[in-house]
Amino acid sequence: MPLAASAIRLTVPILLAALGGVFSERGGVVNIALEGMMITGTFFAALGAHLHGPLAGALYAALGGAGLALVHAVVTVTFGVDQIVAGVALNLLAAGVSRFLTIQIFGVATQSPGVSGFAPFSVPGLDRVQALAPLVTGISPFVPAALLLALLGQWTLRRTVFGLRLRAVGENPRAAETLGINVYRMRYAGVVLSGALAGLAGAYLVLEQAHSYLEGMTQGLGFIALAAVIFGNWWPAGALGAAALFGLFEAVSLRIVTSSVPYQFIQSLPYVVTILVLAGFVRRATPPAADGIPYRKDGVE
Amino acid sequence: MRAGGPLLAQAAAPIVAVLAGGLIASAIILAIHENPLRVFALMAAFNMQPGSVASILTSATPLIFAGLATAIGFRVNVFNIGVEGQYYVGAFAASLAAFGLRGVPPALHLTVIVAAAMLGGLLWGWVPAVLRRRRGAHEVITTIMMNYIAFNIVLYLLGLVRDRHLGSTARIRTPLFPPSAQMPRLTPLLNALGAPLPSYSTLNWFLVIALALAMVVWFWLRRSRFGYEVRAAALNPPAAEAAGINVAQIQFVMFLLSGAIAGLVGLSDLLGRTGYFDIDFPKGLGFLGISVALLARNDPLGVIPAALLFGYLDRGAEGIQAFGSVPREVITILEAVIILAIVVSYEIMGRYVRVLRKQEAA
Repeated sequence: MPLAASAIRLTVPILLAALGGVFSERGGVVNIALEGMMITGTFFAALGAHLHGPLAGALYAALGGAGLALVHAVVTVTFGVDQIVAGVALNLLAAGVSRFLTIQIFGVATQSPGVSGFAPFSVPGLDRVQALAPLVTGISPFVPAALLLALLGQWTLRRTVFGLRLRAVGENPRAAETLGINVYRMRYAGVVLSGALAGLAGAYLVLEQAHSYLEGMTQGLGFIALAAVIFGNWWPAGALGAAALFGLFEAVSLRIVTSSVPYQFIQSLPYVVTILVLAGFVRRATPPAADGIPYRKDGVE
Repeated sequence: MRAGGPLLAQAAAPIVAVLAGGLIASAIILAIHENPLRVFALMAAFNMQPGSVASILTSATPLIFAGLATAIGFRVNVFNIGVEGQYYVGAFAASLAAFGLRGVPPALHLTVIVAAAMLGGLLWGWVPAVLRRRRGAHEVITTIMMNYIAFNIVLYLLGLVRDRHLGSTARIRTPLFPPSAQMPRLTPLLNALGAPLPSYSTLNWFLVIALALAMVVWFWLRRSRFGYEVRAAALNPPAAEAAGINVAQIQFVMFLLSGAIAGLVGLSDLLGRTGYFDIDFPKGLGFLGISVALLARNDPLGVIPAALLFGYLDRGAEGIQAFGSVPREVITILEAVIILAIVVSYEIMGRYVRVLRKQEAA
C-alpha cells in the first residue's frame, strides 16, 4: 500500500503535464516546451503561495505556464516557426526567466522560502481500515483533481464540439478550415491549455512535494510526460495509464535504493523506461496526422 | 531584386534578432531600476579588456564544437538535443585515456584522447540514432533521456576510477593527467605576435582546432558528393529520395557525426584548464550549442561568429554582475530572446522569399 501511495504521488505531475501535451498535439502543435512550462509553473506556484496561499499558488502556476505557452503559440502558429526549435528556445527562456525572477523576488538564485500546500484530506469511512491507511489518508486535493481532469479531458476530446474541432485541426487543418473552423484559434487554445496544465504540474511539485521552489526541480518530468502522451496514444485516458506506469516505475525505483544496485543506475531507470516506451518496445502508436506541421492559411509552406 | 532582396533580408535577420533581444533586455534592466545604456556601455568597456578578450575566446571554443555538433544534425532534421550528454560521456572517455596512458609522446597521447572523446560521443549518439532509424523513436525525447542517463552513469563510473590518494577529502575526481595530456596554451604565441593577453588565460590550441573543424565541415558539405546529398536531403527529402538519395542513411550518418563532434566539446576545459575530470565539470555547454546553431542557421561557418557572440555575452554577463549590480540572468534571458527572434525572423524572411517565388510562378 505505501508503494501504491507513492506511485500515485509520482504519477500526478506526469499526468498533468501529459494532459497538456495531449491537448497541444491533438491540435497539431508539438510542445517540447512542456518542461519549460512546468519550470515556470514551479516558480509562479511558489510566488502565489508565498503571497496569498496555496490556491493562489495553483492559479499563478497555471497562468504562468499558459503565459509561456502563449509565446509558443504566437511563434509556432502565427509565425509558423519549426515547433521543435521554438520549444528548445522556450525551455532556455523559462529557465532564465525563473532564475532571474527568483533572484529579484526572493533574493537568492536557486530557491524560494518555504510555502504551505493544500490541507490533505482523508476518505471518510475508509480511513479507519488500517491496511488502507497510506492510500486513503493524507491525500492531496491534487490527486482527485488530476484524475478528474483526465476524465474530463477524455470526454472533452471525444464528445464535445471543442474536442472534435481540435482533433480535426490536428488531423487535417486544410479540411477543417474548409468546414469553417478557425485553425489558428483552435491551435492557440490547445497550446495555451497545455501550458496551464503543465503549470499545474509544476504547482504540484512545489505545493505538495517540496513545499518550496527549487531550481531544476522538474528534472525532465516534462519530457517524460511527452513520452506518456505518445504511449497513451494521444488520449487523456491513455495518458492516465501511461503516467501511472511511469509513476509506478519511479516508486519502485525509489524503493530499491537500499539494495546492492548502485543508486545512479536506479535513478536512470525512469529515463531508460521512457526510451524503451518511445522505441515502441511496449506498444506502437499513431500520432495525429498533422502533428508538428505548421499550418499556413495562405498555403505558402 | 530577385537575387539581392532575399540575400539582404537573410543577412538582416540576425541583426534584427540581436536588436530585439537588446530591447527586451533593456526593458528588464529598466524594470530593476538601472539604466540600460549604462549597463551595455559597462559591458562593452569590460569586454574590451585583454583579460576579457582571452576569456571570450576561451568560452567560445567549446561553443564552436557544440554549435557544429548541433548544426550538423539540425541541418538534416535530426534534432539532436543530446549534445549535452554526448560531450559528458566524451569528456569522461577522454579522461580515461588521459590518466590511463603514461610515458607516451604528447602528440600521440593527445591524438588518442581526442579519438576517445569522439568515440564516447559517437557511442552516446549511436543509441538514439539507431532507435530513430529502426524504431522511429523521436530523437528529441530519447536524447534528453540519454542526457540524464549520461550524468548518472558517468557519476557512477567516476566513483570507480576516482583518485583514492585524495584520502578523506570528499573531493571526487579522476587522477591528475600527465603533462603529455595537456593541450598547449595559445598565449605564448599570441604574446609573441604582440597581442597583450594575460598569462593566466587558459586559451589553448583547441580554439584553432575548432576553427579549422568548422571550415573543414563547411568545405566538405559544400564541395563533396556526400555534402551535395546532405543539402538535397535537407532542402526537399521527397525529391532527394526520388533522385535516389537515401535520406534515412544520410540522417543516420549525420547523427553519428554530430555525436562524435559533440565528444570534443569538453576537451578544451579538460586538457587546457582542469587536468582532471570531476563532478563539477562544466554542464550546459550542449544546450548553449543549440542556441549557437540556431543563431548560425545551422551553417558550419556561421557557428564561429555565433559562438563568439555567446562568448561575448557570457563574459559581459560576468562584468555587469560584478560591476553593475545587474544579475547575469538578464543576459540568459537576452540570449533566449535572441534565439526566438532569430527563428521568427528567418521564418518571416524565408516565407517572404517563397511568396515572391509563388507570385512569379503564377
